[in-house]
Amino acid sequence: MSTVEATEPVRPDTGPAAIEARDVTVRFGGLVALSDVSLSVPPASIVGLVGPNGAGKTTLFGVLSGLLHPQGGEVFLGGKKVTGATPSKRSRLGLARTFQQLELFMGLTVREHVVLGYRVRNQRKRLWSDLLTAGALHRETDDEKQRVDHLVDLLGLRSVADVGASSLPLGTARRVEVARALATGPSIVLLDEPSSGLDGHETAQLGAALRTVVEEEHVSLLLVEHDVAMVLGLSSQVAVLDFGVRIAQGTPDEIRNDPAVRAAYLGDDEAVEGTHETTQQGGEA
Amino acid sequence: MLQFIVVGLVFGSIYALAASGLVITYVSTGVLNFAFGAFAFFIARFYYFLHVEKEWGILLSAAVSLLVLAPFMGIFFYMAIFRFLRLSSQLIKVVVTIGLSVVIPVLAVMIFGNEEIFQAPGLAPQPVSVYKVFDTAVTLDQVIAYACVLAIVIFGALILRYTEAGLSVRAMVDSEAMTSLSGSNPSRIAAGVWVISTILAGLSGILAAPVIGLDPNKYTLLIAAAFAAVIAARLRSLPIAVCIGLLMGVAGSLVQYFLPPDSEVTANIVPAIPFAFVVISLVVNLVRQGRVNEEEGVGGALDRAITPNGGSRLAASSDSENIYPKLNFTFPIIIFAGVCLLPLIFAPYWTSLMGGAVALAIIFLSYTLVTGEGGMLWLCQITFAGVGALSSAQFATQHGWPIIPAVLMGGVIAGLIGVVIGLLTIRLGNLYVALVTLTFGLLMERLVFNLQTFANFGQGVAVARPEFASSDKDFIYFGLAVFAIFAVLIVNLRRSTTGLALNAVRWSENASRTMGLSVIQMKMLVSGLAAFVAGVGGGIYALSFKQAIPLDYATILGLVWLAVLVTFGVRSNIAALLAGLLFTFSPAFIQTVLKLEAPWSDLPVLLFGVGAIALAQNPEGTVHQWAMGLQRALHKASGGGARPVPAATAFAGRHDPRLDDDDTPPPPPPGSPQPEGTTAEVAGS
Repeated sequence: MSTVEATEPVRPDTGPAAIEARDVTVRFGGLVALSDVSLSVPPASIVGLVGPNGAGKTTLFGVLSGLLHPQGGEVFLGGKKVTGATPSKRSRLGLARTFQQLELFMGLTVREHVVLGYRVRNQRKRLWSDLLTAGALHRETDDEKQRVDHLVDLLGLRSVADVGASSLPLGTARRVEVARALATGPSIVLLDEPSSGLDGHETAQLGAALRTVVEEEHVSLLLVEHDVAMVLGLSSQVAVLDFGVRIAQGTPDEIRNDPAVRAAYLGDDEAVEGTHETTQQGGEA
Repeated sequence: MLQFIVVGLVFGSIYALAASGLVITYVSTGVLNFAFGAFAFFIARFYYFLHVEKEWGILLSAAVSLLVLAPFMGIFFYMAIFRFLRLSSQLIKVVVTIGLSVVIPVLAVMIFGNEEIFQAPGLAPQPVSVYKVFDTAVTLDQVIAYACVLAIVIFGALILRYTEAGLSVRAMVDSEAMTSLSGSNPSRIAAGVWVISTILAGLSGILAAPVIGLDPNKYTLLIAAAFAAVIAARLRSLPIAVCIGLLMGVAGSLVQYFLPPDSEVTANIVPAIPFAFVVISLVVNLVRQGRVNEEEGVGGALDRAITPNGGSRLAASSDSENIYPKLNFTFPIIIFAGVCLLPLIFAPYWTSLMGGAVALAIIFLSYTLVTGEGGMLWLCQITFAGVGALSSAQFATQHGWPIIPAVLMGGVIAGLIGVVIGLLTIRLGNLYVALVTLTFGLLMERLVFNLQTFANFGQGVAVARPEFASSDKDFIYFGLAVFAIFAVLIVNLRRSTTGLALNAVRWSENASRTMGLSVIQMKMLVSGLAAFVAGVGGGIYALSFKQAIPLDYATILGLVWLAVLVTFGVRSNIAALLAGLLFTFSPAFIQTVLKLEAPWSDLPVLLFGVGAIALAQNPEGTVHQWAMGLQRALHKASGGGARPVPAATAFAGRHDPRLDDDDTPPPPPPGSPQPEGTTAEVAGS
């Protein structure tokens, strides 16, 4: 279990949402994976996204990051419409993400993951110029070294910095994905179950690192997590998905007491009835 | 027209049988058998041996060939090779089967002799009876071919639908892991499938013998055409594979009916028909689904969970490479320096061979780039070498260009074609890329290389070496200098930001895209670069013989080259150099020093094929294995003792638990707690 304390959540800045989904609908054949889902992540804030298995969380991440195209709805990044933009373009606009099923580069070391993330953002031309300018011999710049070292230390990866990704324990590998995402200098990071596979100590360490990133670098986080305690402890807002529908959104306290959420998680029939009423009231409101 | 349809249906039947055999082994065991043509040839040659040379009866010869030899081959190769490939990457599976396709014809020559057989009997008694149907002549051989397809389709459907064995096979297609858990034995089912597939190979081989004779290359080409039906069937649908196979045969025949029979256009269009089927089916699938990947829909959730994500180990750097980093450069530099000394000590005969060997090594570097660095299995690098050779000869000899710019321009043309192929195959899975590039190579060979401008009645186009490298010795050093430049380019690529990005794209396209990398740009870069290197290498290869001959760049030969290189190591520059030297010198050594004649002169090819097959056990290749052994020995000799492999790397990139060393802890079983697993195992879940 996680040991993240339910301390004061990070308070968001004002301004256009770091990322926003409006009425997003995704269908896979006859299956409606997401139905008119709307979600907004304010700048420099942490928003949690929870829901049972199959609720559509990862599908929503796919839509937000551009890997999936919705049949309906819009996606905005920093107030700019990006619904049809490629994942690569969204990344250049400040979006980064991690994956529920690890997507590490097995041929690279931990540090190389972070270095690549940094260079893609800050020294993009080296992707091509290195070929002709003996890039292998170039020493890393002070800025690069400082930033990469900072991220490696922040995520507790110093001891495995030069280890190949294929050799990492799962918990460490998840932290590498977070470090790689942060290295691209994002304004919003989508974290898909970052604490899965981490022990209690590692989860607490990760939680502290995420809080630091938001407070010091004003990055926004959208956090999908099964560890509800971690989500409620970190987030200023929490949205709940169930069967592709957003059934609740509110502060951690509101979510804790929401009968719709309890119904979704516990299958309580009475709560389900209450859910419909609440949803209708919410809709009317 | 009916006569043409009758003839076309024979080819169609052979395509259909071959496509059926290929599809059932792919869907059941995950292996697309590039050696299917070699299997077909071997069994057909055995049938010829029994029926013609030993004068056995047709039925007895056919029964022994198809019901004894074919099942034996199926079970033998399954037990010896294919069962170890179950969890290997597609790269390794393809290369191992290519190795088999190289070995089997050589074995056939060693066993049956190297007599060229242009006419061989089929299953009909000689002289073959001819019947009249609607005023159209139909031979008994043709009737037997139709009957075989019909019987296979009907009995296959009945067995799959109504028998327990069929149920087991269908279950294994859906999920091998679940089949295993429900009490069936997947190994036994897989062995059975290989038996059936090999029987189909034998049957199609015997049926094809009266039409194409007994030439292993023709069999490989015939089955390469059948791959088009397999692609159209998306590797999985037996009925579609059979229908498209029949359709291709008829289409090829009808084209000859509608077009003038002696026209060069007709001669060019007929071999292009399978390619047209490939293009149409891929375009249709790409439009419908946006991507064509052999992995989609394969296996159940449990199968995916236990499949390691070490998919490209053949193309990936493993941690073991970095255990003794100090020797990373020393070993190649010592080898390269040694090779540079060879022209000084060699007799003129060997020096005359060495120029070609070094040029070949340059071409091999293109495989190092595209497969070793890019992780893409391209089977047309030899075609790019041919493009470079033929166009540089045209520029230099026909248009009077100086030879160096002509060779560079040949490389540029090859590079541009490489970029286009890279772009066209960007949304295809590894296996499709292999099949498409193979088909492209065959098409280029038949449509372009055969033009008289290049072929010149088999003589090719003469091309003069540059003045500063006119002697054999000078030419070798010129070639070695070019090799060194490309090798340094590859080392720089590997260790640069570009190399990091390429590595990223190879392992996870999704993660690469979401961190801002352009997968298309990276793949096109490596495609173009590799084709450029192959083109320049091809130009220098032509210079070594002072002649650009299209036959030197036959696609089938390219498969042998690939087998040679992967035997040494597809990620190592120095392996490319050694592979070039050994591939050139070893046949000459056997003939001139050991004085061995045919069939033993083919021994090197056999050994290289075996080397490729051995990838099932050692995916990094021989040079890597030697280097690691040497480094360990040096470390031990220097008093360091046996250096243990770090525990964290013990699992890295392993595919099949049955291949693990005894001292390696077994990977966790499916369902074990995730934190205990390593990334390599869990990422595929």
